[in-house]
Amino acid sequence: MIAKRYFLATLSVLVGSCVFSGAQERKDRESAAASVPKQEAPARADEARRLPSGQASAAPTKVVAGGATSPGVSDESSMRVEGEKRFRTNCGRCHMAPHKFPPRAMATILRHMRVRALITDEDMRLILQYMTQ
Amino acid sequence: MLAVLAFFVLQRPASAQTAVGQVPDKGPENLRDIKPAPIVSGSAGFVTTFDGGQPHLGPIVTPVLLVPLTERWLIETRATFESDLAEPPGGSGFHGVLRKEVDYVQLDFIANRYLTVTFGRFLTPFGIFNERLYPVWIRNLQSDPLILPIGIGPSNASTGGMLRGGFKATRQFNVTYAAYYSALSTAAPVDSDRLAGGRVGVFLPQARLEIGGSYQHRLQGERSNLFGFHLIWQPQSLPLDIRAETARSRSGSGYWVEPAYRLSQLPFWRNTMRRAQVVARMQQFFVGTLTSDALPGVNTKQFEFGLNYYFMDGWKATSSYGRQFSAEGNKNVWTMGMTYRFVVPLAPEESE
Repeated sequence: MIAKRYFLATLSVLVGSCVFSGAQERKDRESAAASVPKQEAPARADEARRLPSGQASAAPTKVVAGGATSPGVSDESSMRVEGEKRFRTNCGRCHMAPHKFPPRAMATILRHMRVRALITDEDMRLILQYMTQ
Repeated sequence: MLAVLAFFVLQRPASAQTAVGQVPDKGPENLRDIKPAPIVSGSAGFVTTFDGGQPHLGPIVTPVLLVPLTERWLIETRATFESDLAEPPGGSGFHGVLRKEVDYVQLDFIANRYLTVTFGRFLTPFGIFNERLYPVWIRNLQSDPLILPIGIGPSNASTGGMLRGGFKATRQFNVTYAAYYSALSTAAPVDSDRLAGGRVGVFLPQARLEIGGSYQHRLQGERSNLFGFHLIWQPQSLPLDIRAETARSRSGSGYWVEPAYRLSQLPFWRNTMRRAQVVARMQQFFVGTLTSDALPGVNTKQFEFGLNYYFMDGWKATSSYGRQFSAEGNKNVWTMGMTYRFVVPLAPEESE
């Protein structure tokens, strides 16, 4: 009985989250369309957390706000920078940022991490793009 | 309820979304041809532990097989091959048995951006250590937290079904969740308890802060409730990782806090220092009203300090010293070892 109630409560929360998230996405798209991309410097700790191999050090330093899937970010370079940012933020939560792997292997790893670490769909796509370039 | 389930399972991805693990819907055309390939990933390690003066040699290999099917399915399984080699009293040489175990075998169906449905045997998502920090190449200290056995079942896994996902709730934070049901299984070593539970977390990318809570209700035995709380924080201004967990159950309760600092900001020996990491962990366990073989029998406190050196991102040397205080006697725990993470694609890189 308790499990059933708990299950129903969980589903209710999920439905609410989806509705809220959908509304927020629409709002984000509208605001991003009207916004102008701006630059920001990478955090110092990002540099410090870089791999010994320094494999990602060649990335440009500008970051475009607004999210890569929003219309505000359209060019490949900006998406790559945003991808690196999401890569460091998400992957670095649990482990050292890994090397790049071959694209097909990377796609599988990201599908696995999507399930395991609950990476969002948007983050996963940006990271995949960054890691396969 | 069925209608709600149908909503989640049948919801198609939005136009701005592609199949999971496939390719971005924006970007160079050649990325669209990437098809996920089966891979064998995993880790290998050799960790020597001096537990109260008694040396133990611990070779371990944990391969993970990942097989993506079509655009939305993934089969994942992990096995563990490990041994605990120790000197028998009065004997010479190190002896032990090889332990072989399938940690999990699960089938994932990625329904949409909000929901993944998992069937089979899966790591119980109670707290974060069991599911995300357990592999030897990931963990900062090689010893397990004292509270690890709380809420993860008799063999660290559950058998049943799970709904889980992570999505961007607002521009400021992401929400993650997992809700699961496990059936009773008495077939060792893949045994599991009958229970239901869930975990909800909030991740703030700007602050690099993740906080969350876990709940579990046991549907057998004492039918008790278990609670947990976790935190991961990476301050923007420092190469510092802070992880913490608490857990509370009728078998016991406790917490651990683990800061890890990368020495890359030191102004000397930069090439060496940026590969080095100092770690500390403080933890405490308090016995509950029920006994458990997996948990300490008395109140226990433990401090650990460690030093890791990363030759590469997946290859590191690890060492630590810890002191354990309990009514059963105080002791030192030393560890030294080497861990390695590998990835082997099982299909050619060229797309069909």
